Amino acid sequence: MQKKNIWNTAVIVLIMLYLLVPLIVSVIYSLFEKWTDVLPEHFSLGSYMSIFADPAFRSSIVRTIVMCIIPIIITTIIVLLALFVTTAFFPRLEKYVQIICMIPYTIQGVILSVSILQRYVGSKSFLSNRLVMLTGAYCIIILPYIFQGIRNGMRAVNMSMLLEAAEMLGASKLYAFFRVVVPNIISAVVVSSLLAVGIIFGDYVLVRNLAGTSFQNMQIYLYQTMKSDSVKASAVFVVIMLVTCIIAGVVLTLQNRGKKPDKS
Amino acid sequence: MSYIKFENIIKTFGKNEVLKNINLEIEKGQLVTLLGPSGCGKSTLLRCLSGLESVTSGHIYLDGKDVTDVNPKDRDIGMVFQQYSLFPNMTVEQNVAFGLKLKRMPKEQILTKVGEMLEIVGMSDKRDCYPSQLSGGQQQRAALARAIVMEPKVLLLDEPLSAIDALLRHSLQVEIKRIQKELGITAIFVTHDQDEAMVMSDMIHLMYQGKIEQSASPADLYTKPASKFAASFIGHYNVLSSEQFLELTGEEIPCENIAVRPELIRLTDKKTDDPDCYHMQGTVAVSLPHGNFIRYGILCGGIQIDVDILFTDISPIPTGSCLHLSIKKEECVLL
Repeated sequence: MQKKNIWNTAVIVLIMLYLLVPLIVSVIYSLFEKWTDVLPEHFSLGSYMSIFADPAFRSSIVRTIVMCIIPIIITTIIVLLALFVTTAFFPRLEKYVQIICMIPYTIQGVILSVSILQRYVGSKSFLSNRLVMLTGAYCIIILPYIFQGIRNGMRAVNMSMLLEAAEMLGASKLYAFFRVVVPNIISAVVVSSLLAVGIIFGDYVLVRNLAGTSFQNMQIYLYQTMKSDSVKASAVFVVIMLVTCIIAGVVLTLQNRGKKPDKS
Repeated sequence: MSYIKFENIIKTFGKNEVLKNINLEIEKGQLVTLLGPSGCGKSTLLRCLSGLESVTSGHIYLDGKDVTDVNPKDRDIGMVFQQYSLFPNMTVEQNVAFGLKLKRMPKEQILTKVGEMLEIVGMSDKRDCYPSQLSGGQQQRAALARAIVMEPKVLLLDEPLSAIDALLRHSLQVEIKRIQKELGITAIFVTHDQDEAMVMSDMIHLMYQGKIEQSASPADLYTKPASKFAASFIGHYNVLSSEQFLELTGEEIPCENIAVRPELIRLTDKKTDDPDCYHMQGTVAVSLPHGNFIRYGILCGGIQIDVDILFTDISPIPTGSCLHLSIKKEECVLL
């Protein structure tokens, strides 16, 4: 038994090291001005101070967050409505909706961006706007993750039974869905949204191809900084990581606030 | 005129005809059971009445009105499901108040009604608990309160106790019956458990393969089964064909089958000469203790006859014993 525990601990420690070492090294690297062969010299927060002093960097954070939130909200609403309609009225169509939602898994960023550009660039509608195109592209790439997360959540709460129970108490299907089902799948929505945050924060290809380098989000800023100053680039990377962690922390705290205690 | 009336109800799922021309009438204030094996269509019939399932053809009347095409939320029917179906994000009190809020009832009135209902089902102390904090029995009581508080015309109970352990199930059976009588609600209970149906019902409608096999009071259904299926499903009757019966007893019967309840067969070491009884001989092949009685499987000419004997201090009959079986002629049911 004790031997098994040692193995379990060893595996966990190894995984933690694998995940944390690159992050810790980046943090250390960003905090020193000079590097000898092995050890750093001159501890300094200069890199951080300089990037935060740069208005372009501050606005890149805001742009990234906004470009992250809008597609997630749009996709979540579309997926919720699609799953409501299929579950409540056309259960047989669910597998087709699933197939459609899974297709983006197979589309690479370059192909997606080139296809979108070819289709909409000459168009005179609002869809030719680069930011609208980028938002649409993000909606597409996060669709499978949001769909899968929400669908699993709906299955876990037995959505059709909850809808029927609410209907028998005088509720319409739509009211029952938003009043009874959605509050019970918030965890699933949150988890899939955080996954989508990770995907959008990690994107460079779509934003580079669709919006261009003049639309500086954090990835573009990071890429441009890397060319000139590697220590500053590490600081940018650490800030991206912190922003992601803060978003995850805030969302999970908000979710846990409304959580019900389990049977003790 | 009956309170609920099913008229020529047919329901098909694809090519599968689940309900085959059901005609059924239910009186006001009764607790009626739809009893039958899994897949016989009892839950489908209940769901057709609730409106959660549409009928392929036929009509359903409730309190004199044709409700066949009425939306479930407008039928004024309450339902308790098998899997509790409480809303997990709401407390017991919020669950019970859910339907009343939709009716736009004043807040004070909602609180009073919810309080009264929780009192009736014995859940007043759990009003602020979430479903995840309740046991299965407590969840089902809350679900019952949520359905009854709406004062529905009919209360439908779709196998509400099947996910609950035996001891609690028995106490809830009694409680549901008490609440139903106390409030005078018309209730339809679906179950596949004949003991549960016997305990709870004013009237049992036995269903088999999408049809009503027999409608009778629990006592009549038990003592006077109308078909071979009813006899084997309800009282664990021994059903013998006339040929088998002739072979075993040497006596002819004026029907196709004869059914005998296991507890009405007497076992003796020697053959008796009672002319009012049928007699046969057999060997004890198996004995199965059932708590308050032992069920002996006795092989008579290759046919197994089940005999129930009260479990007393007398030592059980060993397997392989050769015994005489006597059955009073008047206690046999001819089918």
